[in-house]
Amino acid sequence: MTMQPAVMELVNVDVAYHGDIRILRGLSLKVRPGMITGVIGPNGAGKSTALRALYGLLKPVAGDVMVDGKVVTGMKPWKFIDHGIALVPQHRSLFNDLSVEDNLRLACWSFRRDKARVEAALERAYTQFPMLRDKRRDKAGSMSGGQQRFLELGRALALQPRMLLLDEPTAMIAPRISAEIYAFIEGLPAQGISVLLVDQNVRQCVRIAGHVYVLELGQNKVDGGAEDFRQDSGLRDLIAEWVDYRIDA
Amino acid sequence: MDQLILNGIVNGLIVGGVYALIGVSLTLLYGVLRVVNFAHGEFVIAGSFLAYVLFSHLGLPPLLALPIAAIAFFAAGWGLYYVLIPRLSRSDDPELMSFLMFYGVSIAAAAGMLLVFEADSRSIDYTFTPISVPIGPIYVSTARLVALAIAVAISGALAMFLFLTLPGKALRAAIMNPEAIQIMGVDIVRLSAFAFALASALAGVTGVLVALVFPAFNAFSGPDYTIIAFIVVVLGGLGNPVGALLAGVIFGLAEQLATVFLPQSLAQIVGFAILVATIFLRPTGILGSSARK
Ligand SMILES: Nc1ncnc2c1ncn2[C@@H]1O[C@H](COP(=O)(O)OP(=O)(O)O)[C@@H](O)[C@H]1O
Ligand SMILES: [Mg+2]
Repeated sequence: MTMQPAVMELVNVDVAYHGDIRILRGLSLKVRPGMITGVIGPNGAGKSTALRALYGLLKPVAGDVMVDGKVVTGMKPWKFIDHGIALVPQHRSLFNDLSVEDNLRLACWSFRRDKARVEAALERAYTQFPMLRDKRRDKAGSMSGGQQRFLELGRALALQPRMLLLDEPTAMIAPRISAEIYAFIEGLPAQGISVLLVDQNVRQCVRIAGHVYVLELGQNKVDGGAEDFRQDSGLRDLIAEWVDYRIDA
Repeated sequence: MDQLILNGIVNGLIVGGVYALIGVSLTLLYGVLRVVNFAHGEFVIAGSFLAYVLFSHLGLPPLLALPIAAIAFFAAGWGLYYVLIPRLSRSDDPELMSFLMFYGVSIAAAAGMLLVFEADSRSIDYTFTPISVPIGPIYVSTARLVALAIAVAISGALAMFLFLTLPGKALRAAIMNPEAIQIMGVDIVRLSAFAFALASALAGVTGVLVALVFPAFNAFSGPDYTIIAFIVVVLGGLGNPVGALLAGVIFGLAEQLATVFLPQSLAQIVGFAILVATIFLRPTGILGSSARK
């Protein structure tokens, strides 16, 4: 596709789950075009909530969501595919009792009548992750955790998105598979895909991201170019406060 | 084989076919929308009344009432969805509100039928020729056999739709993972409206079969069928269409065979016994795994 990589923004967003308890407060972040934007922060900081607000799964009580500079606040989740934006959420998004191939076909719902395009999308997923082709008749739920993650990533990529939103793609995945997944993510910007990477793995996130946001208690703590995070000892200490980890340890 | 037992089995299959359809429509509705339709039995009886009106006022045979009921109830269900469901999402507790709302719909529907048809029991005296067919040593009413054949055909068509077509798979996918289906680009509001319309159409068609299989119906019959639907849905596993089809047949057989072996008063509680036993022994239904984790 010859489209531009997408840009997406949260502008001063408040999100509340029940009544008045605001989980996000005045949160702003920008998914920059053609690179990986990282979001890190302690457990419960609101990273997933921010992602769900971006994708229309939660409606902000204040602030705006923008795509390519246009306000889309309140847009329904199923419209984002049409804008070339795909999401791989934190919790499994597969249809366990459907086959691998049916999972891929359902992702092609918005262009299901265009047979050639559907076949091309399947082919793209199978080429990216050949193991999916071997398992295409198996039930998605019967595969291992890593294989299921590949299916989710392959399914998102099959749609030739301009942007991919990823929520902890390597959580509870074996290290060898994780390395494969990070290599895959690292290669996305070169294909014209902007990436938002929410991650618990601070080291990997800072390593491959071009810009990093730190969230705390539903608010922006700091953000900056990834270089700053790699070099600035103040930032390193900040991160070391909430994870038992040093960036270049 | 003993004639009584054969009779029980044949009747069990016939009644079970109707129960299966009643259950499968309710379970689809629950699976996709997460609402419990307390008015389901009234929808079914409304289908019976439609067949009654078409036959006694327009002379249309029940077989012709089937497609008419399907279309009319599909359209009514689609409309009703947009009247009812958007109101739920404005509530703080949509699931609890759905109970109250559909209970209200059930009362309103029963009252509406009472107004139009009064409290008398109705039946359709349409007769097939021959009026009955021999199966081994017993005779079975042709109307009931036709109803069984239709129930089997509809179940088969529904299963093919759910398992072989993309929209059918989307419906099952929505039951398995309602959030994920939205991020696949499927408009969940339209899909839900379709599920409501499909469940209503199935209920209406089942009502026509009820008029063929059971001796009579009236404006108060609805709750009996709602309870049967609940038993079948729980037995089959919430939101599991294949389970519901199977459970309907099992329940029909159990009920009819119970009338052979047990005294009348005991046979009537067999449904409840099955319901309670399922909840205690296999809370996820006969097929074992729940449709949704
Ligand atoms: N569905 C929900 N209802 C109520 N509170 C929630 C819900 N989901 C998350 N939260 C709360 O919102 C906060 C942020 O959660 P989340 O966005 O999942 O954090 P993170 O992804 O950064 O770990 C947490 O305090 C969490 O308990
Ligand atoms: Mg999270």
